[in-house]
Amino acid sequence: MIEVAGLKKKFKLTKDHKKNNTDKIDPREDKQFFHSVRDVSFHCDKGEVLGLLGPNGAGKTTTLRMISTALKPDEGSITISGHDIVKKPLIGRKSIGFLSGSTGLYGRLTVKENVEYFARLHGMNKKLIASRCDELFTLLDMHSFIDKRAENLSTGMKQKANIARAVIHQPDVVILDEPTTGLDIMTTQTVINFIKGLKEQGTPVIFSTHHLDEVALLCDRVAVINQGLSCFDGTLDEFKQTGQSDVLNQAFMNILTESRDV
Amino acid sequence: MFEVFKKELKELLRDRKTLIFVVALPVAIFPLLFAIMAFISSQAALEAEQEVHTYAIINGQYAQEFTDKVFYHKSFSQYKGEETFNSVEDLTNAVKAGTIDMGIYLPSDAKQTLDNAKQSEWQVVYNDAKAINFLFDRVKELAKEYGDKLRTTKLLSFGVSEQQQAAIIEPIKVVKVDTADKRENLGEKIGGFIPYLLIPLVLMGATYPAIDLGAGEKERGTLETLLLTPITRTQLVLGKFITLLASSIATTTITVLSMGIWVSVAIAFVDLAVVKTAFSSLTVFDLGLIFILLVPIAAIFSSLALAISIYARTFKEAQNYMAPLSIGVIFPIMIALMPNVELTSKTAFIPVTNVALAIKEIIKGTVDYTLVGLIFLATVIVAGALLAFCVKWFNKEDVLFR
Repeated sequence: MIEVAGLKKKFKLTKDHKKNNTDKIDPREDKQFFHSVRDVSFHCDKGEVLGLLGPNGAGKTTTLRMISTALKPDEGSITISGHDIVKKPLIGRKSIGFLSGSTGLYGRLTVKENVEYFARLHGMNKKLIASRCDELFTLLDMHSFIDKRAENLSTGMKQKANIARAVIHQPDVVILDEPTTGLDIMTTQTVINFIKGLKEQGTPVIFSTHHLDEVALLCDRVAVINQGLSCFDGTLDEFKQTGQSDVLNQAFMNILTESRDV
Repeated sequence: MFEVFKKELKELLRDRKTLIFVVALPVAIFPLLFAIMAFISSQAALEAEQEVHTYAIINGQYAQEFTDKVFYHKSFSQYKGEETFNSVEDLTNAVKAGTIDMGIYLPSDAKQTLDNAKQSEWQVVYNDAKAINFLFDRVKELAKEYGDKLRTTKLLSFGVSEQQQAAIIEPIKVVKVDTADKRENLGEKIGGFIPYLLIPLVLMGATYPAIDLGAGEKERGTLETLLLTPITRTQLVLGKFITLLASSIATTTITVLSMGIWVSVAIAFVDLAVVKTAFSSLTVFDLGLIFILLVPIAAIFSSLALAISIYARTFKEAQNYMAPLSIGVIFPIMIALMPNVELTSKTAFIPVTNVALAIKEIIKGTVDYTLVGLIFLATVIVAGALLAFCVKWFNKEDVLFR
């Protein structure tokens, strides 16, 4: 359903960065550029949840931003249902729902207005917006606060509103960038239930996380990135096997160590 | 694009700070501030006018008529204290000590000198540091009256008639025949200040909301989600741009209307015949023309403010960048205020300055409509170029994700 192959992305180094970083230790840095993503590939089929793992600064967010079309890759391809979204980003944007832990809402608009605004930007008609909103507000138990301004919501309410905003257009693929970071247990559970719901509907989900318990609970596949390079892409069982036990932390550490040795 | 505009407008109208800047400031606060300033300055002038100053005069007996004039003047009160003054130095020390407000020193040979038809030098000691000061002018006026009388009497005694005296003192009398009507005259004097007030308001109407629409989106984390919707960056920029343009024009319109109402109210209560004549000669067409010229200016400011705002990482950074823009706008308006800078086919191509000059000409009633067309065209081209730059800016990853 979604295939990512040979992604590469570099950023020009700022003068300040060059000055402040005299002790060059990151292999991704050369005189002019920081090669954030050097070669990343993975795929995720219909009804699968793929966990994108990696240490801080590994290139996960840049990879997800490329998939979501916010950034254009320097090299590589991203295809969703056969469409090359690098060449045709507008098709990609129609097909993708994106949510991150830091995604914001328009504070002076109500929850309903926020969600409807994004629905209209996706070209949905009034009738469809009304039915889809009702469906999502019921599913996420949001009816009690849909007329409240977003600036007056609790963190949990905000994340529910963000989920509704991200999937209002019924995307073919959902991308979640550390969606549970900084959330309390109740809100985290809402996000987890939401991912489970998407999986049941057959929607592929790619999500990055540092919480391996969430990976164990939700993922069918795992991809690990370290220093901008793919160092694992396989099923959850295959991932577990690399640790010689069922402890995911061990598997993750083993993969990182091996990738550094290489 | 229209969806973005509708949403941005809705958000702006719900933002109290924006409403204060766009509506409250021009409607109430500006006129109120001007009224307070006018009241305070007029009160200060009135107080200065009505203030009675204590004075001392040395050798006043040698010009008794002048001394009497000073004595009976409503603004002066003779020092009645125990101190005595014999020199300019004594008077200076007394003024510095605050014993007297003014000292007049006449030389002891004043009468003799004047009787011999020679010039006598008198000294007025006072503190000239006060902003509003009538002291010296009043004494000079009294001395002139006295001196004129002395001269006339002396020349009459020499057999020179008053008519002959006038011809000797002022052999050539130049009489002004002004072809400028009241409107043109007043327009030349105050016409330059109207754009000085209007154009920064147009800028203010664009900058504040721009910060929210660009850097605000980044800071709130809504920009990225917006970029992931299937609308083009051009549509996105245009939606935001039209919002800023509307806000900028709204501020200007509200300000002009508010000022019009307040000026009408002021004229109704205070008999300002000159101002009344000047403003009543401005037609709806003139006002429309000023408004039309301000639209592309608003477009220029909206594009610039949006480009700056989207470059900034945070609200605060955007505010820092906007300050030089405000100064940058004042500079071309000041050029228009300079003497001998007029609207020509060359100045018509200097952005902002051209509109400021045109507004001045419109108020004077001497505008060349061909040049107005040229200005409109030139300003639209600049605005279009800046808007294109803004779209390009919105497509740059290193600007959006700094």
